[in-house]
Amino acid sequence: MKLSKLFTWLPGLLALAAVLATALPPGPVRGFDMEKFGRTPVLEGGRIKPLDSVARNALLMIRSKQSVPFEGRELGPDEWILDVLFRPQTADAQPLFVINDPDVLGLLGLKQGASRYFSFDAIAPHLQEIEQQARAAQALESPQRNRFQNAVVNLFERLLLFNQLENSIQLADSPGLYMELQALGTPQAAARHKSLAEAARFRPLPPLPGQGAEAWQNTGEAMLGAGAPHPALTALALVGAGYKAGQPEAFNRGVAELRGLTGTVRPQALRHASSEILFNRVQPFYLGMVIYVLALLTLFASWLWRRDLLQPAAFSLLAAGALVHSIGLLSRILLQGRPPVTNLYSSAVFVGWAAVILGVILERMYRKGFGTAVAAAAGFGSLIIAHHLAMEGDTMEMMRAVLDSNFWLATHVVTVTVGYSGTFLAGIIAIAYTLRKHIAPEDPATTRTLVDMTYGIICFALFFSFVGTVLGGIWADQSWGRFWGWDPKENGALLIVLWNAVILHARWGDYIREKGLMACAIFGNIITSLSWFGVNMLGIGLHSYGFMDKAFWALAWFVISQLLLIALCLAPRRFWATED
Amino acid sequence: MIRRLALRVWNFLASLQVTIVALVLLMALVVLCTLAQAELGTLGAVNTYMRSMLVWRRLQGVPFPLPLFPGGALVGLVLVFNLTAALVKRFEFNPRKLGLWVVHAGLILLVAGEFVTGAFQVDTRMTIEEGQTVNFLESYHQMELGITDATDPARREEYGIPDALLRAGATVAVPGTPLTFKVKRYYVNAQLAPMVQGDPPSLANMGVGAGVRITEAPPAASDKEVNATSVFVEPVAGGISYGTWLVSAVLGAPQSFIHAGRTYQLSVRPRRTYLPYTVTLRKFSHDNYPGTDIPKNFSSLVHLSNPARGEQRDVLIYMNQPLRYDGKAFYQASYGKGDTLSVLQVVGNPGWLLPYVSCMLITLGLLAHFGITLYNAIKRRQLSGEAA
Repeated sequence: MKLSKLFTWLPGLLALAAVLATALPPGPVRGFDMEKFGRTPVLEGGRIKPLDSVARNALLMIRSKQSVPFEGRELGPDEWILDVLFRPQTADAQPLFVINDPDVLGLLGLKQGASRYFSFDAIAPHLQEIEQQARAAQALESPQRNRFQNAVVNLFERLLLFNQLENSIQLADSPGLYMELQALGTPQAAARHKSLAEAARFRPLPPLPGQGAEAWQNTGEAMLGAGAPHPALTALALVGAGYKAGQPEAFNRGVAELRGLTGTVRPQALRHASSEILFNRVQPFYLGMVIYVLALLTLFASWLWRRDLLQPAAFSLLAAGALVHSIGLLSRILLQGRPPVTNLYSSAVFVGWAAVILGVILERMYRKGFGTAVAAAAGFGSLIIAHHLAMEGDTMEMMRAVLDSNFWLATHVVTVTVGYSGTFLAGIIAIAYTLRKHIAPEDPATTRTLVDMTYGIICFALFFSFVGTVLGGIWADQSWGRFWGWDPKENGALLIVLWNAVILHARWGDYIREKGLMACAIFGNIITSLSWFGVNMLGIGLHSYGFMDKAFWALAWFVISQLLLIALCLAPRRFWATED
Repeated sequence: MIRRLALRVWNFLASLQVTIVALVLLMALVVLCTLAQAELGTLGAVNTYMRSMLVWRRLQGVPFPLPLFPGGALVGLVLVFNLTAALVKRFEFNPRKLGLWVVHAGLILLVAGEFVTGAFQVDTRMTIEEGQTVNFLESYHQMELGITDATDPARREEYGIPDALLRAGATVAVPGTPLTFKVKRYYVNAQLAPMVQGDPPSLANMGVGAGVRITEAPPAASDKEVNATSVFVEPVAGGISYGTWLVSAVLGAPQSFIHAGRTYQLSVRPRRTYLPYTVTLRKFSHDNYPGTDIPKNFSSLVHLSNPARGEQRDVLIYMNQPLRYDGKAFYQASYGKGDTLSVLQVVGNPGWLLPYVSCMLITLGLLAHFGITLYNAIKRRQLSGEAA
């Protein structure tokens, strides 16, 4: 093999090696084996997951980040959840709650200063005020609330979540689980355990032999129950006491005991939790996003210098990104036991993935670097959207009964999402065409290639969006008794089909040529983004399961940017350059 | 001259321009219909924009509504006509075009299916409590004045006067009974409240209605609201008047009078359609995911009994698994009363198979067409590659 050939594959291999390195488990922190504690399986939100997932999702919701800076160190999710569970006074002092809304800050008497993050202690004096404001705002339907009301409801919900977590294994003001176990049987203890059973966010105690697979309990429920206390309670008590007293040996012994016990009664839960924690640690979609950016930058560099070397190098990075992305997607499918698209978050991951794969195929067909560019841009764009959607909570949440059908999720949802991917990809190629037209020297052969690619992708998108929409109709006919109900999400999908059909007919009738085709393809981006996200903002209809309002402005800016690009696409070549 | 003009019109009608304009109009209608759903409810928006020939709007200063936009039905008809004309005009047998022909034939069928649905689909529901046996469907939108002959509690006879006949001043005889009803006043939707001092006397002089104040309300717009349909009626039988009664969908206990030894109960209820068979709810089940309030599944175990056909069987109806029987489909739709009551949505649509057929046609056609195109493109590339 030639040296230059090896060099071109080196960046991709290096990227993969870096990804593998993140899979190694971290060592103990201050002697505490926190990673092992994070693997403890618990039942939350209707499914078994490692405690690490509970901690990460909660941190994302509360702080929009997966770590907390405290006393000069970055606390990971496992260390943070330990503080929350067993040292609540310490957790209360950590800068956790991200608050951006100036009116909410004003309500709390806080100033927008260097930090946007506030500790529970800083917010605590105003809890009553926040609750009052939030309850008043909650009386309104979500679309009717103003910015302040949304922000205060959001803060209140995060405070509730934090409070539930602090009261999940023992009440926040409890002297510890040991004392609680000793006090069993006294009326005061029973009252405390009752409120604990109600407040707890998750259930860490596995069902014992003879109990049903879903009979996980929280510590409050277990202490209220008759008979001998659940054997895992003493192990948990040891974990808590060891952590609070700063004794790593006791803590590690408690964790090992807890794992041993869970391993005997629920070995699958332990295995599942271990796989999911690996997925959490590697964060394949985040790393994929980084690799796509590197691919894009390498490709840009290739247009300035050593194209022969850098263009293949960019492709190797793209391939590495696609591999990491695919492994992430596959892991989610295996962990969840479901087809790839189950909610808005996973649709973003999948739209990006399908666009990347299409881009890789295009690059292999044409080898001009454009396939790499659009694939990397699509991959990066969709994963960054997914990254923001992950702030809404557990991305592997359970499916509502009406959506609980792997067959239809696998057929309708996947096909229609591939249709979205295709329409976006055509739009991205058209954007590349537009930018090239005004920046790069004229090159009819490349232009021809781009037009061919766009045309082909639009045909592909029409096929998938049509079949996907129709399969959705059939699903609706099977579950609700009507093939077509003019529901907002259905209408969104229909718009994509109609628009792709309009483009193709206009092209066949020769009403649009190169420039028109490209401008229409960019307009496809607007239609797809509106039907993908805009519909969720309407908050009506059977499909509005992914409501969000923060994204409204992002969407508005996206639409404006696309309109500008359409204008740029239609403008004469290099109109901005002074004529000689 | 006329021939040439006719030819030009024909060419225009079969042209791609018409196709594109119609498709763009359809897109605009879909957007309008989606946005209007927040205000008009799904059914209202669909009737205004999609199932109408023209979209009518009242403008300020103009006393009558104006047709401002072509409606979905008109655009659909234009599309079907345009497509048929194009098929007739440009038809040539060419295996390379075969895919396209199939696609467009499928499209005509799809639009036809939506017309059939709009015209013939009947949406009803069946509400059953555990252990109860029901032999009728209830309408979602139409109401009726229900008359129940409750003389023998074990064998109640049901009669109904559809809301379409309940117009003020009308006199309606109920076939099968000696009863005639004089309609005094009818409200599609109303607000009812206990009468307070100073209120004008009620039209009713019998039953609870005499003490109720009633005010007219606009018909329910959203899908969540239900009309409180109310009516003042005077039952007459054998020349005897039984007084004027206020009967309303929101008044609880049925009101009754006795004529010739028979007890008649009055109520306003969703319009009923009786079936030649009965459905009994044996068991309704509903689970949440543990520790959450996310529903995991619902199902109704029902017993279907059709003596005329000698059919007696149990059926389990659950999500995505309806019972198709007698040209109707029974879906699990809702539940209530602490999981002892099940609501089935019952849909009769003679055209329900059309979309399935048309989808098969279009999918196969698209596959064939794009497959052929792709094959030719690859072949061309190979040829030009060899030539280079």
